[in-house]
Amino acid sequence: MNGAELVLKVLQQQGVDTIFGYPGGAIMPIYDAIYASPVKHYLCRHEQGGAFSAIGYARSSGKVGVCLATSGPGATNLITSLADAMLDSVPLVAITGQVSQAVMGTDAFQEIDVLGLSLSVTKHSFMVRSADELAATLNEAFAIARSGRPGPVLVDIPKDVQLAAVSETEVSVQPRQRPINTSLAQSTKARQLIANANKPMAYIGGGVHMAGAMPQLQDFLAQCPMPSVTTLKGMGSVAKDNPYYLGMLGMHGTQAANIAVQQCDLLICLGARFDDRVTGNLQKFAPKAKVIHVDIDPAEINKVRFAQVSFLGDMQQILPAISSSTNCSDWLAHCSSLKQQHGWRYDHPGERIYAPLMLKQLSERMPDNSVVCCDVGQHQMWVAQHMRFSHPRNHLSSGGLGTMGFGLPAAIGAKLARPQDTVIAVSGDGSFMMNVQELGTIKRFRLPVKIVIIDNQRLGMVKQWQQLFFDERYSETDLSDNPDFVALAAAFAIPGHCITRKDEVEGALEAMFTWPGPYLLHVRIDEKDNVWPLVPPGAANEDMILESN
Amino acid sequence: MNHILTITTNNEASVVERLLQVTRYRGYQLAGLELTPLSDMAGLSITLTVSSDKPIHLLTSQLHKLYDVRDLQLVSADIAALRA
Repeated sequence: MNGAELVLKVLQQQGVDTIFGYPGGAIMPIYDAIYASPVKHYLCRHEQGGAFSAIGYARSSGKVGVCLATSGPGATNLITSLADAMLDSVPLVAITGQVSQAVMGTDAFQEIDVLGLSLSVTKHSFMVRSADELAATLNEAFAIARSGRPGPVLVDIPKDVQLAAVSETEVSVQPRQRPINTSLAQSTKARQLIANANKPMAYIGGGVHMAGAMPQLQDFLAQCPMPSVTTLKGMGSVAKDNPYYLGMLGMHGTQAANIAVQQCDLLICLGARFDDRVTGNLQKFAPKAKVIHVDIDPAEINKVRFAQVSFLGDMQQILPAISSSTNCSDWLAHCSSLKQQHGWRYDHPGERIYAPLMLKQLSERMPDNSVVCCDVGQHQMWVAQHMRFSHPRNHLSSGGLGTMGFGLPAAIGAKLARPQDTVIAVSGDGSFMMNVQELGTIKRFRLPVKIVIIDNQRLGMVKQWQQLFFDERYSETDLSDNPDFVALAAAFAIPGHCITRKDEVEGALEAMFTWPGPYLLHVRIDEKDNVWPLVPPGAANEDMILESN
Repeated sequence: MNHILTITTNNEASVVERLLQVTRYRGYQLAGLELTPLSDMAGLSITLTVSSDKPIHLLTSQLHKLYDVRDLQLVSADIAALRA
């Protein structure tokens, strides 16, 4: 056995049966080992696409995603995806081939210091200097990726290490894992704060479901009735029928969510990090609220907002420990009223398709456990506003990094992770072109991914900001020379259809869902449609700009 | 304001780069750096002096998370002066 074969053996030991990647010179021994391995490799058409597929696989399944790339350009093409996984706390192991150690440091062909490049976009990164270290290092990489706050880990393996002979009897080393010490010392204080609050509010991020604490969250909200809001990554955490769930908060959050958070007197932050897109003007965010902050990452506590009470550790233990009855019936009624008063309106004039309404129709028509993978821009915010999800693993959106090109490859990964579930990639005409080559992956593996392109022939979100904040100077946001998306899909043997009118939507959705294979629905909308509400930069969240303004 | 951190790390090739990268990215200026291998050569003893008006916990909490950091202590400037 050589090092490359050992890599595949360790992957199997880690329970990995699906990997994504693209071969090249410095990783050829590992691809040679893949040839005879039961681990199924999915060939992407660009390393960034492969890594996003691994992210989609990980986010939709809860498993560690694995991607491979060769040295040099293969490795550099991974960087954006690693950054995406870093900011969204996605467990990912990226394995890169490296030139042989004999020529390392000589600017050899396709040599780049990927370990140096990876420092700021990974939780940790390794260079394996000896085949004897391979198994232990890979096991350590998996342990780091999935432990604590999950994240990406890069393992760079020189070609000579891949080719070196290793003993078949090599035993896997138990990885060093830092224990998660959950302290409940402040639980009495937290329960008192909750019991005494007149206006408590649960602010729920992606950390809850990543901790496997969805049942504990539902119990908490049942035992401590209070309104709740979610971040982009927390969407789907609260049961759809919870009457006090107010939707997403922040820059494009619901009016009810933003108004209520600004009014609350206790904010219980669960697995979220007070991101600037959530808080708006931080100094004016939830100004009357005391804060209880629960997270697994100590660096998030008091990073941007002081917490009167904080908990570090396992959300599954902490949530039951801080459960307390609430006494806030007036507040609940007020929040219900806000929700009613500021509900979405879909009475859009004219025949042209109104994206929020179309996405609501899509949401109502899709099977309950569908996975929706977004790209970035206006369509991403419309999805967050107008679609409902039964679990956060059913809504994959590039939150922290905001990476255009995320959606299509993420949908590939999600479909491979959950073949029984419907997977829908909702993209914009700008984002779709960022990783359009992955249509080749869909074709190759006949993946029945449904693709919905919301096309306003513009970089819509940038254009919206140019309209509002840059005196309508539309610099480089016109995409009216887009390709014919249906013809483009056809080139990959993917059928599709283009619609422009409201009365075409239901039929088109029906056709898309009943078609057994991949399908592309091209939805043309008015370029004047914008995302509302919007909290302008520097403003407090109650100072939303509304469409009627 | 200067802050002095004494850090024990694994003796990995990239560990100093990691410390400096986090220090720079989080907005702290490097004011001093000393390092000595531990007697077993498996670890490094590092004294990192940084300057910033930001609260130092925003840096120490990030450095603590680094995989190769075994221990990190914040030494007050007064004690450091006495030691000198």
